[in-house]
Amino acid sequence: MSENTIRDVFLEEAREILRHLEADLIQLEDGDDPELINRIFRYVHTIKGSSGIAGFDVVYEFTHKLETLLDMVRNGKIPVEKKLVDLLLESMDWIATGIYEEPDFDRMEALLDRTGKYHAAGGGAVSASEEEDAPAKNGPSEDKNFFFLVRASFRPMVFQSGIDPLIIMEDLTALGSVEQKRVNLKRLPELEELDPERCYLDWTVLLKTKHPRSKLDDVFIFVKDDNDITVEDITAEFVDDEKYNTMLQERKLGEILLKRGIITEEELDDVLSSQDESNRKLGDLIVEKGYADEKSIKYALGEQSRIKSRIQTTTVRVDTRKLDSLLNLLGEIVISQSSISRISEELEEQHGFRLKNALYAMDRITREFQEQIMAIRMIPIGPTFEQFRRFVRDAAADMKKEIRLDIRGAETELDKTVIEQISDPLKHMLRNAIDHGIEPPDEREKAGKKRTGTVTLNAYHQEGNIYIEIIDDGQGIDRAAIKRKGLERGLIKPGDELTDKQIHDLLFLPGFSTAENVGELSGRGVGMDVVKTNIEALRGSVEIFSEERRGSTIRIKLPLTLAIIEGMLVRVGTNVYIIPLLSIVESLQPARDHVKTVEGKGEVMLVRGEYVPLVRLYEHFGIKSDVTNPWESLVVVVESGSDRLGIMIDDLVGQQQIVIKSLENYITQSRALSGAAILGDGKVALIIDVHGMVGDLAR
Amino acid sequence: MNKLEELKKSAGAAKSDGRQFVTFIIGEENYGVEVLKVQEIIGMTQIIHVPNSAEFMKGVINLRGAVVPVVDMRTRFRMPEREYDMFTVIIIVEVKNRMIGMIVDSVSDVVDISEATIQDTPHFTAKIETDFIKGIGQVENKLVIILDIDKILSTSDLERMAMEESRGGDD
Repeated sequence: MSENTIRDVFLEEAREILRHLEADLIQLEDGDDPELINRIFRYVHTIKGSSGIAGFDVVYEFTHKLETLLDMVRNGKIPVEKKLVDLLLESMDWIATGIYEEPDFDRMEALLDRTGKYHAAGGGAVSASEEEDAPAKNGPSEDKNFFFLVRASFRPMVFQSGIDPLIIMEDLTALGSVEQKRVNLKRLPELEELDPERCYLDWTVLLKTKHPRSKLDDVFIFVKDDNDITVEDITAEFVDDEKYNTMLQERKLGEILLKRGIITEEELDDVLSSQDESNRKLGDLIVEKGYADEKSIKYALGEQSRIKSRIQTTTVRVDTRKLDSLLNLLGEIVISQSSISRISEELEEQHGFRLKNALYAMDRITREFQEQIMAIRMIPIGPTFEQFRRFVRDAAADMKKEIRLDIRGAETELDKTVIEQISDPLKHMLRNAIDHGIEPPDEREKAGKKRTGTVTLNAYHQEGNIYIEIIDDGQGIDRAAIKRKGLERGLIKPGDELTDKQIHDLLFLPGFSTAENVGELSGRGVGMDVVKTNIEALRGSVEIFSEERRGSTIRIKLPLTLAIIEGMLVRVGTNVYIIPLLSIVESLQPARDHVKTVEGKGEVMLVRGEYVPLVRLYEHFGIKSDVTNPWESLVVVVESGSDRLGIMIDDLVGQQQIVIKSLENYITQSRALSGAAILGDGKVALIIDVHGMVGDLAR
Repeated sequence: MNKLEELKKSAGAAKSDGRQFVTFIIGEENYGVEVLKVQEIIGMTQIIHVPNSAEFMKGVINLRGAVVPVVDMRTRFRMPEREYDMFTVIIIVEVKNRMIGMIVDSVSDVVDISEATIQDTPHFTAKIETDFIKGIGQVENKLVIILDIDKILSTSDLERMAMEESRGGDD
């Protein structure tokens, strides 16, 4: 592996670890769950190790100090408090900048200074418990766990040499903790054939220990010569995330508690049997029987849900560029396939028929292939939502507000491109909700609400679309203030009767709400026009709902996927264009007297009692067409928001799924073209963007 | 369709300390671009015209599944247009990780030009754009104008030109 690849792997790995670390640190604020602290420690430890290998020496030094601090936290010498979490979060930020940008040495010094103070505090506490720790120092290494896979197969006559395998196994397990064990009963004969003086059992033990290998060898020193004993060091397999990655599987609450040694097996059985009768929650029963306290149950439940969410998100890790190129390759297969299909047309009947049949079969497979690849591109929105926890926490603290972030529908899947691009707009709207939506705690109390405000991020699927909502239980939007502002700016007239929606839409106008206007009361709309543009670029839309004193909801509607759409192929002269099927209302041939001109220039046509503007596509694009009279042509009626438009074409070619390829901005000045797609015959067809076309016409 | 491979191979034999350039002809003139910038060279293929684009922007092509814009270098250099024939080729170059095609009259060779023999751009009269000329090299008594592909086909430059043209069109 070259140095660069080591670095790349590290950068990639660190990104992931830092993300987990952040989430865990935020969680740490809720209480000092020892498992959580352990995991945080492991993350920092992994970064330390890898940064050293990848040559980030400064980061290595820094994480080393941080690790020492965390070790004290782990040993309970330093209590978990907000101050500590703050320090850890800031340190984490420093590590991120240290890795991805330039290390900021001044900040590092400041952080180390604070870390040092903690060290001192922890050190003070050490003296009291030093004696207890002393023996540990000469024995096992301080922070490293080894994992050994021990297979012990004793010869049948082992008892005759005065050795009891069970005692040896007990000695072994005393060295550390048994992570997994299996007793092999295969050699065990039927009872009548059993010779009590023979040993029939084999053991396989996965041992987690702080002791080096030699200690384990010592255990077997008298038996290793004439018995089949193997000790294998498999620490490397665990080094990443230690047991969490390898043992990642959904676990029941009882098992977690059992594993943590909070309850015993008998106690669990007892509880489980009474659960059958009473049909109550396991956790409650355990607390009731006094086997464990509520705190432990809470932590175990926390772990349970974390394990679940990990299983959902970390199963595949592929460079997304590889997926894109896979999709491109598939596109090439489809194109080659259609050229073969053309050849099959030219062949004499018998051979042509067979080839065509084979091609049909292949076509089915490639279609399914495409669907599968598209499915891989879909990823859950959970991690994107989770990353806002930190943001909400910091922003709320800045504004001296108490805010809880509630996340729902984390498992909702979106196209990865959409997820990448939705993050910034979401942050913007969250900031608005925190800044202007949620009231300060005292004010909330006066209004009879809980001191802590709630901002909810919610995602769900509905009718082929994805909805993302940002809901706050704050003061709502002051529509009167927006109206005043609209009047001031001449956007609306004094006599206008506006619906709530129309008033909210004012917020999306560029520069509607800047610092000096609507004010503290309800300054929503800071950059909302940018948000709207971003979302429309994803072919989505955004709406605001608000109830005064009760809160607001911003709802974003997005298409399921960006990369692929159902398109209608239309022909004008020799050119083929694609109109997204979702934009199409209907297509028709207008009657001669239904087409009228306005001011001698603009044309409109009557569609079901309503006049819609008519666009002659050949004129708009400056190309040749077969027909120039609307009543001889076909008109596709399209819709963008509340605007309707008739697009005049020569003919409809057909409907097909297309993969959208973007067009660089410089290629055309027309906003009516949003991209291109490659058709089955290898030709490129341009995609008409109805929304952009409406914009073009308004220009 | 593997002219580039062939060219690269034939040039491989004559390796020297100098840099290698793909040379091509527009009208009577020889131009060169650094070989590393060239992705491939393909024959003329069907170009789909994009409405409301700059004049030199001939349209887009399908390059094995990728939609690649192609620029007519004659129009770009404001030379008279000429019909495409069997020698016309599209040189696909990579400019800032984006592929773009240049339509040229014909491709000639891959040549080595040692750094030392490349002259700085002489000061022409104001009529000639010298920004995108890197220098002038000499190969067997032939003059090769070495183009700075990053400049001539940069997105910002193309965007600016497209804007100018569309503004001109509006007047």
